[in-house]
Amino acid sequence: MTQLPIIIDTDPGIDDAVALLMALTSPEFDVIGLSVVAGNVSFEHTLANTLKVRELTGRPDVPIYPGCDRPLLREPVYGLFSGAGGLGKAALPEPTLSAETEHAVDFLVRVLGEAAAGHRPKPTLCPIGPLTNIALAIAHSPEVVAGIDRIVLMGGAFADLGNRSIAAEFNILVDPHAAQIVMACGAPIVMLPLDLTHKAIATFERIDAIRALNNPVASVVADLLTFWDRRDVDRFQTRGGPLHDPTVFSYLLNPEWFSGREGFVAVEVASELSMGHTVVDWWGQTDQPPNALVLTDIDADAFFDDLCRRLARYVKSAP
Amino acid sequence: MTGRPIIIDTDPGVDDAIAILLALASPELDILGICAVAGNVPLAATRVNARRVCELARRTDIPVFAGCSRPMLRDQIYGKYSGESGLGGTLLPDPSMPEQDGHAVDFLSRTLLSAARGERDKVTVCTLGPLTNLAVALAMRPEIAGGIEAIVAMGGAFRVLGNRSPSAEYNILADPHSARIVFHSGAPITLAPLDMTFQALATPARVDHIRDLGTPVARAAAELITYYDRNDPERYGAIGGPLHDPTVIAWLLETGMFSGRNAWVGVDCEGPLTFGHTVVDWWGKRGAANNAHVLTDVDAERFFGLLTDRLGRL
Repeated sequence: MTQLPIIIDTDPGIDDAVALLMALTSPEFDVIGLSVVAGNVSFEHTLANTLKVRELTGRPDVPIYPGCDRPLLREPVYGLFSGAGGLGKAALPEPTLSAETEHAVDFLVRVLGEAAAGHRPKPTLCPIGPLTNIALAIAHSPEVVAGIDRIVLMGGAFADLGNRSIAAEFNILVDPHAAQIVMACGAPIVMLPLDLTHKAIATFERIDAIRALNNPVASVVADLLTFWDRRDVDRFQTRGGPLHDPTVFSYLLNPEWFSGREGFVAVEVASELSMGHTVVDWWGQTDQPPNALVLTDIDADAFFDDLCRRLARYVKSAP
Repeated sequence: MTGRPIIIDTDPGVDDAIAILLALASPELDILGICAVAGNVPLAATRVNARRVCELARRTDIPVFAGCSRPMLRDQIYGKYSGESGLGGTLLPDPSMPEQDGHAVDFLSRTLLSAARGERDKVTVCTLGPLTNLAVALAMRPEIAGGIEAIVAMGGAFRVLGNRSPSAEYNILADPHSARIVFHSGAPITLAPLDMTFQALATPARVDHIRDLGTPVARAAAELITYYDRNDPERYGAIGGPLHDPTVIAWLLETGMFSGRNAWVGVDCEGPLTFGHTVVDWWGKRGAANNAHVLTDVDAERFFGLLTDRLGRL
């Protein structure tokens, strides 16, 4: 099997943790590295959480690169749903290994530069947090964009409403300037906004199915997702929380479960009221050529069944 | 005497070239390196021009690094007064000295981090162009601000009007987001805005004094500056072009010829009309902590006296 080379840029965060646990047990992926950014919680916590999650997967071969500890221009805002430390009340192992010394931006510039020069296959970038690291790699060396196969990112909200402000999704709101740098960079982009991820709710039934796998990783995931409950039946028609970040990896594995449309996407960086809103030209009302495939629908049952199947693999490999 | 360690971040550019020559002629300064950035002309030209200027001064020992090739977010804009090549009509020969391996941002990070850790003296960063290189370095590693003795930046316009838009000075307008990152980094900043640099007018008589030195460097400098004339006496009060960037180096050499005030400075990155405008809280109305020393006046006679004297040493 030819593996898909990917780099995951992440700010764990509960749904990040589930996404990492899913990706790192999927043999379809060659995970070149995890680059860490501040987001759901402060950088100190996102780095520690990434190390803990890697420890849980038993994948010491996947390097972790520490990245930016704050947004480019704006003051940091943190997430509301991952708990003080970022991983709810789940008990994760203390890490025995440390992160690399190379900065995540230098790592991205190096690997993408090698790919742009034809010395390695072009990686797919999977950003599931604020886009600070990716944006700085592009600002540092714009030519490395040629080394990106695709950017498949979780972020944005265009017809759906925001989750951290009235108009904006969290990952984009935290660093809208970085998001606009990425959106305008010229690499092929696939965007999974709230319009899609709000259809992937981790209901109690789905959490029960994961817990019933009865392995150490699945138990942690069930605990994380139980904490993740939004208790907002008005908005989501059910108890449970939207499982944003893992949809990125599900799309890479099974794109047939997703649908959307190509369009022009830009990020509002000027108006404070709509700061971080992702504007999508869904109906082609501007002359701007499309820069992203914007996904809006998901076969949520297929997604959760597959997540279960993948988490079941930890029965043998987990410590 | 050990010189004050400086890094020059620049987009040569005619006035950049004169500033670099002034620094090279000044034993008070120890130039650790020159970082090129896109600005007056594309990076492909600025990275070569920086080495052309070093070779003109026979200082091929100066490490020159290439940095960022475009602004962070906004579309690229170039200068209007430095000609297509960046060095006017002057034909400085192609350089034979090599460019350093590695990116200017990495050179800045490495050097400033080592200063922040106390492994070397803190470094003064002289910025003569858009602030992209320094902003990327600061965004990646905010702790490098602790290794900066001072940022002395040519940029901004407060109570005089802009030179590239009605309200904005070119270096800030070319990358306002980077300017905001640098101004809010916590590093001490001295700003040389148009309000001051418009007083440093290279009149024909002043250029003649430089040309009359008769040396190859002085003749080349005079030729560069002559090309730079704005032919706009209505605005500047005389024939000649304002010699912006060399005032940064002159401030390091003879602070006493300048005056200014500490203030809070912000950069507009939002307004469609005021994009890139530098806002100064001159009368302390915001109550925000001062982040810059803003220079407002220069003794132009002393400045040109210093410049002419120093260029004569090369």
